[in-house]
Amino acid sequence: TGLAQQRRSEIAQSLPSTNLSSEKQIDPSLPAPAPGFARARVADNPQAPEAKPVGEKTCVACHQLEADHFTHTLHALGLHVANRSDPSIPVCETCHGAGSAHAQNPQGKGLIIAYTKNGGTPIDVQTKTCLTCHAGGPRDHWSGSVHQRNGLSCSDCHNPMAKFSVEGSMAKQSINDTCAQCHKDIRLQFNRRSHMPLPEGQMSCDDCHNPHGSLSNGSSLTSFPLAKTNTVNETCYQCHAEKRGPFLFEHAPVRESCLNCHSPHGSNQNTLLVAPIPFLCQQCHTQQRHPNDLHTPNSLMTGKNPDERIMGRGCLTCHANIHGSNAPAGSKFHE
Amino acid sequence: VPEQKRDSRFRLSEEQKQNRWIPAFAGMATMMLFSTAWADSGIGVDTWRGNKLDPTAGQASEACDARGTTWLAPLQRRSPTGNLYDCPNEAPLAHEIGEWLYYGVLQVGYIGTGDQGVAAWNRYADWRSDKAILSLLDAHFERPSDGSYVDVRASRISDEDQYYQAVFGKAGAYKVQAFVRDMPNILSTDARSIWNGVGTNNLTLPSSLTPGGSTPAQVAAASAAAPTMTLGVKRSKQGLSASTYLTPEWTAYVNLSDEQRKGTRPYGGPFFFAFAFEGPPFNLNDGGVNETIKPINDSTININGGLRYAGPEWRFDFSYTGSFYRDKYTSYNYQSPFKLTALPVIPGAIAAPLYQGQMSTEPDNNYHNFQATATRKIPWNGEISISASGGRMSQDDALIAPINCQGVFGIGLGNLQLGPQNPMLYDCNKWNTTDALSRKTADMRIDTSMFDARIVLQPTPQWTLRGDVKYDRQDYRNIYLAYNPLTGQYGYPSENGTQGSIVPGESGIWDPRTDPSALTRVRSLPLDIQTIDANFGADWKFSDKNTLSATLDYNRYEPSNRERSQIDASSVKLTWVNRSLDWLTLRVNYTYLKQTGNTYNFDPYEFTWSSSMPGYVPPATGTPAHTVDAMRKYDMSSRDENKIDVMATVMPRDDMTVSASVRGDWNSYDARIGRQAYDTVGATVQWEWQFATRSSISAYAAWDRSRLGLSNVQDQANGTGADPTLGGSNYALNGQWWATDAQRDWYGGFTLNHDIGRVRLDVNWNYLYSRGLTDYTYAGPTALAHLVGNEGPGPGGGAFPNMIYRVNSITIGATVPFSERVSLRLFDYYERGRINDWHYLGFDQGLVVGNRVYTDAGPQSYKQNLIGLLVNMKL
Repeated sequence: TGLAQQRRSEIAQSLPSTNLSSEKQIDPSLPAPAPGFARARVADNPQAPEAKPVGEKTCVACHQLEADHFTHTLHALGLHVANRSDPSIPVCETCHGAGSAHAQNPQGKGLIIAYTKNGGTPIDVQTKTCLTCHAGGPRDHWSGSVHQRNGLSCSDCHNPMAKFSVEGSMAKQSINDTCAQCHKDIRLQFNRRSHMPLPEGQMSCDDCHNPHGSLSNGSSLTSFPLAKTNTVNETCYQCHAEKRGPFLFEHAPVRESCLNCHSPHGSNQNTLLVAPIPFLCQQCHTQQRHPNDLHTPNSLMTGKNPDERIMGRGCLTCHANIHGSNAPAGSKFHE
Repeated sequence: VPEQKRDSRFRLSEEQKQNRWIPAFAGMATMMLFSTAWADSGIGVDTWRGNKLDPTAGQASEACDARGTTWLAPLQRRSPTGNLYDCPNEAPLAHEIGEWLYYGVLQVGYIGTGDQGVAAWNRYADWRSDKAILSLLDAHFERPSDGSYVDVRASRISDEDQYYQAVFGKAGAYKVQAFVRDMPNILSTDARSIWNGVGTNNLTLPSSLTPGGSTPAQVAAASAAAPTMTLGVKRSKQGLSASTYLTPEWTAYVNLSDEQRKGTRPYGGPFFFAFAFEGPPFNLNDGGVNETIKPINDSTININGGLRYAGPEWRFDFSYTGSFYRDKYTSYNYQSPFKLTALPVIPGAIAAPLYQGQMSTEPDNNYHNFQATATRKIPWNGEISISASGGRMSQDDALIAPINCQGVFGIGLGNLQLGPQNPMLYDCNKWNTTDALSRKTADMRIDTSMFDARIVLQPTPQWTLRGDVKYDRQDYRNIYLAYNPLTGQYGYPSENGTQGSIVPGESGIWDPRTDPSALTRVRSLPLDIQTIDANFGADWKFSDKNTLSATLDYNRYEPSNRERSQIDASSVKLTWVNRSLDWLTLRVNYTYLKQTGNTYNFDPYEFTWSSSMPGYVPPATGTPAHTVDAMRKYDMSSRDENKIDVMATVMPRDDMTVSASVRGDWNSYDARIGRQAYDTVGATVQWEWQFATRSSISAYAAWDRSRLGLSNVQDQANGTGADPTLGGSNYALNGQWWATDAQRDWYGGFTLNHDIGRVRLDVNWNYLYSRGLTDYTYAGPTALAHLVGNEGPGPGGGAFPNMIYRVNSITIGATVPFSERVSLRLFDYYERGRINDWHYLGFDQGLVVGNRVYTDAGPQSYKQNLIGLLVNMKL
C-alpha cells in the first residue's frame, strides 16, 4: 500500500488544473459522433451538484492503470471517437459524473459516481446513470423487476472498466459465472445427471432469462420469473421447436407448461424429469387397469415380474409420443 | 448394424452442408433490405458460444495483470453487493496496420483421452478420441479513428464440437455477427439394435428374426449378437444478426438462425402389453414392447427483428418473432419380432399376424408473433408501460393412415376370413389409407394474445409504488374427429391393431351399429388457456441502508376442458434488503401463496370418448369410470405454498468474500389421490480469497433435498368398474398406496490460481453426490402390480434401491511462459462418474425379457482421464 499511496501523492502534485474538453472547438473535418454516443453527456451526480467536468486527461493522471484496462473496451473505443469529434462528449465523466469535487477530495465518498460497494453512490443513481444511454430494449422493464427490488446495481453483473468476459461486459468470466455469484445453488443444479448444456459452455442463463426484467413474474402456471418470452413453453420452443405443435392429440400438462414434468436446471432423473417414472405419471393417472398399479423392485428386470411399465423408459416405452401425437391413432401417444 | 452407422448418425449430408449457408445469405439479404440497418440482439437465444474444454470461451486462459486494477488501492474493489471484482487481464500486445490496431491469441494443442465411449463423459462434448485441437482463436481488430472493429473467435474440438464466429461493427453505430456451431448430444453408447436401417424411417428385422413370429429367445440372441452402438443427436446451427442505430433514439435489429438436428434416439414401439399375460391364468409371452430407434432429421429457422425508440420521455419497442420447424420424416415404421396370441377367452380365437408398427414424428410447424411496447415517463418520477402481442402457432402436416398393416387385424374365430362370421376382424385395406381419415391434414392452430399494463411511481426517494395487470390468452382452433368414412366407424386401431388382436372387443374402434358399447377416444382435446394476473407492490426505503418491499399478486388461470375451469392463486411477497453493516449485504424474500379454484371435475374428458356419441350404449355393468373421483392433478389442485430465500454476502476481510444462501419451498396439496406434497430445501456457502493480485482461492459447499409425496389407488374391477368413488366398490381403500421420492444432493468444490515463480498453477475440483430414494407404502396387497407371494393381508411397504449419481472431477494445470507472447499449458482432467438407475437394473445381463426388447442398456459409470497440451501464442 505504501507504494500505491506514494504514487498517488506524486501524481496528485502534478495534477493538471483542468482539461475541459468542452473548451475545445468541434472539428468539422472529423466524422460526426456515432449515434450511440452522440448524446453522451456528463452524468448527473446529485451528491456533487457543484462539481465541474475536468476531462479525461485529468482523470488519467491518477487513474492511469484503470485507463490502460479501459482503453481496450468497446465503451472506450466509442467514447474516444465521439470525444474527438465533439469535445463536449466526455469519456470518463459520461459514467462517473463531473470530476472536480472528487479531484479536490479524492477520499470524499459520493463526490464521483462510483460503482462499488463503498463508493458512496446510491444504487439508484448508479443504475439511472447506466440507463441514460442503455434505456429500453431488454432493459425496458428493469424498474420494478425482482433484481431492481432486491437492490442490485448494473455493476453487480457488469464491469465495463476492462474486458472481463468475451461477451456482455460481464463482471465475471462468463454470464453463467456472473449469475452464480448469487445463484450458486441454481448453477450447481446444472451439475446433475441430466441438464441443459450450460456447464459445457453451450448456452447461458441469458438464453431463457432476462435478468433486466420482463413481462413475466412467474405468478401463473404458464410463466416463470424473468422469462425471456411470454410463457414457459415459448421459451422452451426457442430450442425445442419440434415440441410446439399444436398436435392432433395433445397432452394437457405438456401444452400448459413444460415445467409440469421437467426441472429446467437439472435433475438426477433422466431427461430432466421431476420424479422417476412411473411415479411422475402416477401423480395424475389413476385410470383403471394398468396406470394405477403400485410397482415395487419386483417389477424390475431383476425381479420376479419384470414389467415394461417401469423398466427402462417405463411408461414412455409405449406412450412414446408423450409430448403430443400427430398420428390419427395416437390419442394415447402410442404412435 | 454396420460399424459405420455409429458415426454416420452425426454426418451432415451434402445438401445439409450446403443448406448451412443458405440462411447466412438470406440473412445478409434481409440486412440489405435494412440497408441503413437498425438492429438489436436483445432477445432470443445464442447468447454464448463456448465448449466443455473452456466454457468461458477463452477468458479463463487470459493472464491477470500483475499491476492489479488500480495504483490507488492495493486490492480489488467490490461490486455494490460486495463481491470482489476480478483482476483485469494483462493489456494486450497490439500491433498497428495502417489505421488499424490488432491483437489476439491462438491456442492450439493436443488432447489425449483413454475414452471408454461413455455417454455421460461425452455429454455435449466430443472427447471420444485423442486429437489435435484448435482450443481457441480470438483475434480483435479496431480502428481508433472511427471506432470500427472486427472480432473473430473460433474453437474446434472435432467436426461435432466446434464453433466459429465473426463480428464486425462500429462502436455506437452498428454490429453484424455471423456464427456456425456444432454441438453433440450423446444419449447412449451401449445401445444394441435388433433392427437394420437405424437412422432412417424404416426399421426392419434381420433375416435371423421372423417379423411377428419370433420367440423371446430368438430375439435375445439377435440382440446379444448386435454390436454396441452410439445413439445421439448433433445440433448444427448457423446464425446471422445485425443491429444498428438509425438515430440516437431509434435502433433496429434482425437475428436469423437455422439449426439442423441429425441423429438417433431411443424411443418406443407398442405392440400391446407383455406384463399382463405372463402370469396366471394365461402364462403367455404375448404382446410386444419394442424400444425402437427414432430417426432425428429436422431443421428450424428462427428469425426475430424489430425497431426500438428510446427518448427522454417515450420508449417504444416493436418486434416480430418467427419460427419455422421442418422434419424430414412424417413418421417411421418398424417391425415387431414378437408373435401375438389371442387370449383364449373365446373358443377358436385367432390373432391376426401383425408385425408392422408406425410412429408419427413431430409435425412441421410455423410460428409468428408480433409484440409492441410503449413506455412513457410520468410525474412522480414514474413510468407507465403498455405491451400487447398477438401470435399464431400452426401446423397442417399430412396425416398418416391409422394403421400400416396388410391383410387383417383383430381376432378371427376359427379363421382369419373377413365376413360377418368374424365381427372382431378388420380389413387393413380400410384402415391403412388416408382415405380412412375424416381429414387428410392436421389443420391445427393456436392463436395467442397478450396485453400488459404496468406503472411504477416514485413519489419520494423513500417510496416506490408498482402495479401491473397482465392478460394472456391462447385460443385453440379446430378439433379432430376420429371417423373412418370408409367404414362409418369411429376411433382407431389401438396400438397398431394389436390390442384388438389379443383382447376380444378391444380394437379401439366404436361402431354404433355392431359394437355400440365400445369405449374409445373419438375426438381430440382442444386446450384454450386464459390468464389474468394483477399485482401491486410498494418498496419502502426506510433508511439509506434498508429497503422493505411488499407485493400482492392475484392470478386467475382459466383453462378449457380441464378439471377446473378457474384456478385462483393469491400471494404476498415480502422482501428485505439490508446494507447497514459495511461487511454484509443481506437479502431476504418470503412468499406465501394460496391456490384455490372452482369445482373440481375429476372427469372433464368425457366429450372426447365414444360414450359421448349418440348411439353409444353403456355396457350392462355401466360405462367404466375413467378415473377416481378423489384425484387432484397437481397443476389444478388447491395448494398452499411457503417460500423463503435468504442471500447473504459477507466481507470478513478486504480480500475475502463469503456468500451464503438458504432457500426453502414448501408446497402442500389438497389431494387424497395425486401429488400431496413437494418440498425443497437447500443451503449453499462459497468462499473466495484473493490473497495476491494474481492469486486466488475459492471453495464451495452446498446441500439440497427435495421430497415429493403422492398417492394413488388400484382399481379392483380390471377396467370394468363404473364406480369412480374412492372407497367404493372399484377404487376400494385397500387398494390405495403412497410413494415418496426423496432426493439429496451434496456438492463441494475448490479452485486455486497461483503463480509459483514463472509457472502459473490452476487447480479445480468439483464433487457431486446425488442420492434418490423412492419408497412406498400400501393399504393392502391389492394395490400391488404383482404379488410375490410373501405379502401379508394388510398394509405393507418397501423401497427401491438408491438412485445414485456421483461425479468427482479434478483439473490440475500449469502454464509456463516462454516469452512475452508464447506460453505452454499442460493440464490433466480426471473425472469419475458413478450412476445407479434402478430403471436399468439387470440390463447388463441382456436387453430382452419376455416379449420385450430394449435398445438402450442405460447409463454407465466411468473413470476417464484427459491430458491436454496447449500452446498459447499472442498474435
